[in-house]
This record gives sequence, C-alpha cells and structure tokens, in this order.
Amino acid sequence: MDLPEGVNTAREQGLVGCTRCTRPSPTGTARCPRCGSRLQSRDAMSLQKVWAWWLVGLACYVPANIYPMLETRTLVSTQSDTIVGGAVDLARHGNWGVAAIILIASVLIPVGKFVVLAGLAIGVRRGPQISEAWRHRLYEVVEYIGRWSMIDVFVVAILSALVQLQALATITPGRASLFFALSVIFTMLSAQSFDSRLIWDSAEGARPARNPKERIA
Amino acid sequence: MSDETTSPPEAPVSPAGRPVWQRLSIVWIVPLVALVVVLVIAWQNYADRGPLIEIGFENASGVRAGSTEVRYRDVKVGLVEEVGFAQGLGQVLVKVRLDQAVAPYVDSDARFWVVRPQVTTQGVSGLDTVLSGVFIEGLWDNEPGPATTRFEGLADAPLERLGEPGLRLTLRASGGAALTENAPILYRGIEVGRIGKPVISDEGSTAEAEAVIYAPHDRLINSATRFWDASGFSFSFGPGGAAVDFSSIASLVSGGITFDTMLSGGTSVDPGARFTVFAEQSAAQSSIFSRNEGEALTLSVLFDENITGLSTGAPVELNGLRIGEVEALNGLVDEAQFGDGNVRLAVTLAIRPGRLGLAGENGTGNALDFLRARVAEGLRARLATASILTGGLKVELVEVPNAPEAQITETEGAPPVLPTTDSEIADVSATAEGVFERINALPVEEVMAQAITLMQNANTLIASDDTRAVPGNVNALLTEAQALPARLDTTLAELETLVAQINEQALAARVSSLLDEAAEAARSVGSATEGVPQLIDRLDTVAARAGEVELDVLASDLSALLASAERLIGQDDTRALPGQLNATLGELALVLEELRAGGVVDNAVAALDSARSAADTFAEAGGDLPGLIAEARGVLARANTTLEGYQAQGGVGRDARAALREVEAAAKAVASLARAIERNPNSLIRGR
Repeated sequence: MDLPEGVNTAREQGLVGCTRCTRPSPTGTARCPRCGSRLQSRDAMSLQKVWAWWLVGLACYVPANIYPMLETRTLVSTQSDTIVGGAVDLARHGNWGVAAIILIASVLIPVGKFVVLAGLAIGVRRGPQISEAWRHRLYEVVEYIGRWSMIDVFVVAILSALVQLQALATITPGRASLFFALSVIFTMLSAQSFDSRLIWDSAEGARPARNPKERIA
Repeated sequence: MSDETTSPPEAPVSPAGRPVWQRLSIVWIVPLVALVVVLVIAWQNYADRGPLIEIGFENASGVRAGSTEVRYRDVKVGLVEEVGFAQGLGQVLVKVRLDQAVAPYVDSDARFWVVRPQVTTQGVSGLDTVLSGVFIEGLWDNEPGPATTRFEGLADAPLERLGEPGLRLTLRASGGAALTENAPILYRGIEVGRIGKPVISDEGSTAEAEAVIYAPHDRLINSATRFWDASGFSFSFGPGGAAVDFSSIASLVSGGITFDTMLSGGTSVDPGARFTVFAEQSAAQSSIFSRNEGEALTLSVLFDENITGLSTGAPVELNGLRIGEVEALNGLVDEAQFGDGNVRLAVTLAIRPGRLGLAGENGTGNALDFLRARVAEGLRARLATASILTGGLKVELVEVPNAPEAQITETEGAPPVLPTTDSEIADVSATAEGVFERINALPVEEVMAQAITLMQNANTLIASDDTRAVPGNVNALLTEAQALPARLDTTLAELETLVAQINEQALAARVSSLLDEAAEAARSVGSATEGVPQLIDRLDTVAARAGEVELDVLASDLSALLASAERLIGQDDTRALPGQLNATLGELALVLEELRAGGVVDNAVAALDSARSAADTFAEAGGDLPGLIAEARGVLARANTTLEGYQAQGGVGRDARAALREVEAAAKAVASLARAIERNPNSLIRGR
C-alpha cells in the first residue's frame, strides 16, 4: 500500500481499525460494519487502566516476596521459604539451574514487566527515548511472557497437591503464592490494557490526544 | 456584513471539562478496593490481636520467635514474637502475643513454663515436643483479672494440673526422710498427690517441698495425718526369718511418701499446712502421740563448746520436762561475729508450745513470749549429759541465778537465738576412760599365770604318787589298824591272863582310845582328800572359763575358788589334820615304844618279880614250889611267846609307821597347797 510520506497511523488517514477483526472503517464509525464491535481510534482510558492494574500488581508483588511461598512440614522441622529465600537456599545447595529458573520466573520477569510497562506508559506521554519498533517489540514480549510467571504458582499448587503425607511431610502454599498469582494476573491485565497504537502516535511528534473527540473536532 | 453582524463570531469553544470521575477509568476501583481490603485487614488484625506480654525465663532453650506457641490446655493461645534479654542480661525475656480471647484471664496469677521432653524415673513427658519443638504452657484460673504484662516463668511445671484441684501442703523432711521431686504421694498404693521441688528451708536445717493432694483425696488429710517416707526398703531378721519390705518398685526407685490418719478426731487443714515427713511408719506412728502439739517454735542456740554427743532428736528440757528436741546441728565459724576462728555449735531447737501448755492459736508466738520473759529472769540454755552410759547430750533450759543480762536475740530471717550458760557435762568420757584404764591395768596375764601355776601345782599334787597312794595307804592303814585291835586284844587277853592283876587293863584302854584317835585322823584325812577333787573340778572350771574373756565371770570364779580353798583351809579338820596326825603318830610311837622298850618287858619283869615274890611266898610257905616254878615257867614261856609274837608282829608297827608317814606327806602337801592359796588370795584380787 502506498502511503503518503509521514503518514504513520490509520487515524491520520481518517480511518479507525477494528481491534477485533482488524477491518478499517472511516473515523466516526461507531461500530465495525463487519463484526459489530465498538470502534475506537484510541482507547482513552488505556493509560489509566495500565497504571491502575500496574499499581495493584506491584502492591501484590510486595507481600508476594515478603511472605513465605511454600511451607514444608516434615517430621522434624517446619520450613517456610520466601521466593528469593528459597532460590538462595537452592543455590546454596548447588541447584544453580533450579535457582536460576526460579529467580528468572519469579523475580526477573515480573520486575522486568513492571519496568517495561511503566516505561511504555511513560514513553507514550513523554516522548520516545527509543524507537517505536523497539517499544512495540518490548510490549509484545511483555504480553507474551507475562503468563509464564505463573509457573511458580503452578509449582506451588502441584507440590502442595502431591505432597500431603500427613505428619511425615506436608507442603502447603504460603500466603505469598496467592499474592504472587494476583500480581501476575494484574500485570497481565495491565499489559493487556495498554493500547499499543499509542506507541506509534508519539512518532507523529505530537502528544497523544487525551480526548479523541477533541482530536476529531 | 449582515452575515457577519447576525452571526457573531464563533466564540472559542472549549469543551466543557468532564468531571474527574468521568474521565477516570473504572479500573481504578481495583486498586481502591485493594487498598480498602488491605486497610480493613490491617485494622482487623490490629483489633484482633491480643496484648503483648513478657515472660522472664532463666533460659529460653528451644524457644523460637515466631514459631513457639503458648498453649493453654494444649490449645494454642499465643505466639512468641520476640526472644530477648531483660535489662542486665539477667533473664531471657520472651515476648508473647496472646490471643484476644484468653487475654482477660491471664492476670497476675498466671504461670508459664516451658514444656520440654523429659525422661525421669516417673516416666517420659513432653514427648510430642521432641518433634514439634518446645512450647510454653500457661496456667491460669477461670476468673478474668486486671491485665498484667510481665510474668516470671517457672523453671518446672507446677504441681497443679489443669482440671485437678487439690490441697496444697508444705512437707518438711525429718531425719532420714527424703523428699524427691515429682515423687508420688501414695495412699494405700494409689497415687493421690505429688511432691514438688524440694528446697532447703529458710533456716537451712531441713528440706521442704510443696506437695499437692488431688481432689477428692484431699479429704483424707487432716491434722492427725502423718506422712512417712515410703521409698527404699527395710530389712529385718527375726525368728520368723529374714524379711525385706518395700512398698512398690516404683517408689523404691524413685522415692515416694505415703500417709495415714492414725488417730480419729483430726481437724481439717488449711491449704499450705505444714506436715512432717517421717523416715518410717513407726516413727510417724509414735509421733502421733508425742507431737500432737501443733507447730514447733524454732529457736537457735550457739554453744561455744563443740562437744560430741549431741545429736538431732536429742531432748530439750525445761526443768526436766521435755519441751522439744534438737532439730539440726551445725558447726559455725564466723570470725566477724565472734572475733575468733573457733568452731561453735549452732543448734536448732524445735520447741513444742503444746508442751508448755501454750498450744492453740499463735502457740509459737506465745511460747516465744514466755521464753523471752524467762530469759530475762535468767533462763539459759546449756548442754547437759543425757545418758552417762552413752555420753549423749541434751539441751537444758535452766535458770541461772545472778546470770549476766541477756536476752533472746532476734534477727530477721533467722530463728531467735537463746543465750547460753556453761554446760554441765559429767565428765563421762573421762570417767569411762578411767574405768577402761583400770580394766586395762588389771594384771589379767599375771592372774592367768598365777592361776595356771596354781593349777599346775594342783596337778602336781594330784599327780604325785604320794597323793595317789594316800587313799590306798589310808585304807591299808585302816585295815591294819582294824586288824590291830584284834591282835592287840588277843595279846592283851593273853597278857591279861598273865598280868591281869598287874596292869589292870590300863594298857588296853589307852590303846583303844589311841586307836579311836587314829581312826578319827584317818577320817579327817579322808574328808580332806574328798575336798581335793572338788577343788580340782573348780580349778578346771576356772581354767575353762579363763578362755572366755569375761572378766567378771573369771573374777567370780576365782573368788569362788578362793572361797572354796579358804573353806577347805578353814575346816577345822584340815587344820587339825597335821596336828592330830602328829599327835597320833607320837602316841602310837609312844605306845609302841612303851610296848617295845619298856612296858611289856617291865611288866613281864614285874610279873616275874611278882611271880618270884609269889614263889618266894610260896617257898616261904613251903608250898608247891615245883608246881609253882613249873607254872612260872609256863608263864614265862607264854610271855616269851607273847614277846616273840609281838616281835614278829613288829611289821605291823612298821607298816603303820610308813602309812602314817605317807599320810603325813599327804597332809604336808595339802598344807603346802593351802599355804600357796593362802599366800595368793590378795594378789588375786589386787593383781599383785
């Protein structure tokens, strides 16, 4: 498709794309004539949603790291480990691989998600520091990888379901597991709330419109 | 233009600002809700959490912050939040977050202790804590009380058990009784209570322990109840054989006390009442009659002397009346108090107010007042001899006239101290020592040697042929002496016919009286020899008993022997024996001399003279001279025959003389024995 120079977005062409079936419609169309979903050139509430979920996700991530993730009761001892503590323990016992997996899945990825999401949201407002293509790639990575953070929660769930040997050995999920799961969910929601089209708006050199109607007018 | 006028210029329109809440995404509700939830939970946690209390422990072995629980009736009611130190590191301070529900009940009477696994002779307890870790057990009553935040933890579990109300007692060990911690109190073999941790009593003389009798057995306890030590075993040996007694294997190993109410009419006791634990049942039984006088007043006496002989249980007497006993004895060296390093005797007395007639309420106080007044009048304590034989001492309270001023010294935390005076101790030890020295000085060996010598002499005497020959000789003598009169009679009859007119039978009378005396002498010798075997028997007995070391028996035997010997010597017969024998011998000799040397011949001569004169007369008369001569010849012949016979019978005289010599020797021997004994009696007694 031959696009005039400097045209980056559909909106500049007076079009609005359907987010469900990707069919472009003229700006102002309320509903997609093909699939009937509501059309919005930009999600005005996108950043707010991102920040809201992000905040709750971060809030949940704090207790997820403070409280124990796993409580292991054996005949002679009761052990409860936080995420980092458990990983350190494993590393100390030589299980570098497992420790690395836990650290990556439970610490590196969630923290990276928070940083990336915050960076993306700020980047929309403040103008880009890095290219739109990179930012979009980051966004895709975050959205794709977010669900893998749940691996930790799954491990806890499976272990506590399997290891229930009464007095001999029992593993129960700690409080942190719930918070961690919530944190993952909220960050995924946060990532989903982000309207990736905003990334490209900044490429126009203009600040993204706060109010689409204002723009339209 | 009109257009321009009719249509005013487009006013700059700025869109009406939508209210903030419309511009906000609904998603913001999520963090808000989260915030609210957090706040609510936080508030709820804060509102629900109980007070933080502090419990001080000697050590906090096994107590871990965040995991050690506080339990009440084995249910978690709190959690240890912090384990730290009290000011000055003197104690471990465990901070516990109590549950709100129980907090009001945890008031000042609450007690806490750490439950740890314990293996004792009574069993294994706290086994579950081996796996789960220790926990802090709490105990409090069911009445809410004012909040308290600082508690002192107990080192050991208290005696009471939850849901087991009971009667608390204080047990006091007496004498050999032993109080073992956590040992059972048995009644008829059933455990009805427990002994707590024994501690040394305040005055340091006995051991005391808290004890609890669990309900409903606490009704078995009254003032007439006596406790005794049921641990250990007793071994008795009697006509019925040997017997080993012990109440149960458990109490044999781990100790235990039992009790019984031995007298009816006891009154119920208050919690905390004191009871004495006796070493054995018999002591407990005897105490019921002797010690029914209530609580004892404990006094202390410091004696400068430190004399052996005083022992616990020794009587304390006032004017000869036993008013208490010695409870404990201690040596005391206190240079600061007395100014020298001498060892003093600190005696703890238990005075029974009941013995002073001061039983009842405040008996001890009354007794103390009484003694205080008496001390002001000169009453002093002193040591006195209780038994001459054993040298045992007692403590006497006596009034000393003109005694220097003194009073009962009372110090806080120590029993009052009675003033003392000089002790009145019969120097039993010295006397006893003297007695023993004398016994030692007795010349036992000399006595023995002398006795042996004596017996040897006696043996020699008895064994000597002379002595042995005595009876036979005497018999022979007697036979011959018996035969003698017959012969003499014959001779005399013949002589009689010859010299009937001349001698007028005087010779015969003399001879018969002489023979009577000889017979008497012989009898005496016989009785004397009868005494000798008895003497020897006694000597044998003495010798047999001398082997035993019983001095008194020996002495009595010796004295009996001496008495016998003396009796023997004292017999007139014995004394007279030598003399009579001598006299007899002398007379016999005289008779024989007379017979041999003069009498008969003279008589014969005289007879011849008579015959001659008769012949002369006859001759003068011119009568039958030849017949007369013939008759005289016949007479002469018969006289000759007589004389020859007499000469032939001289052997009899020799025999008699020899016999008499032997009798004389026997008498001498007896006399020497008598002299030997006579010489010795005093030395037997004096040993010299």
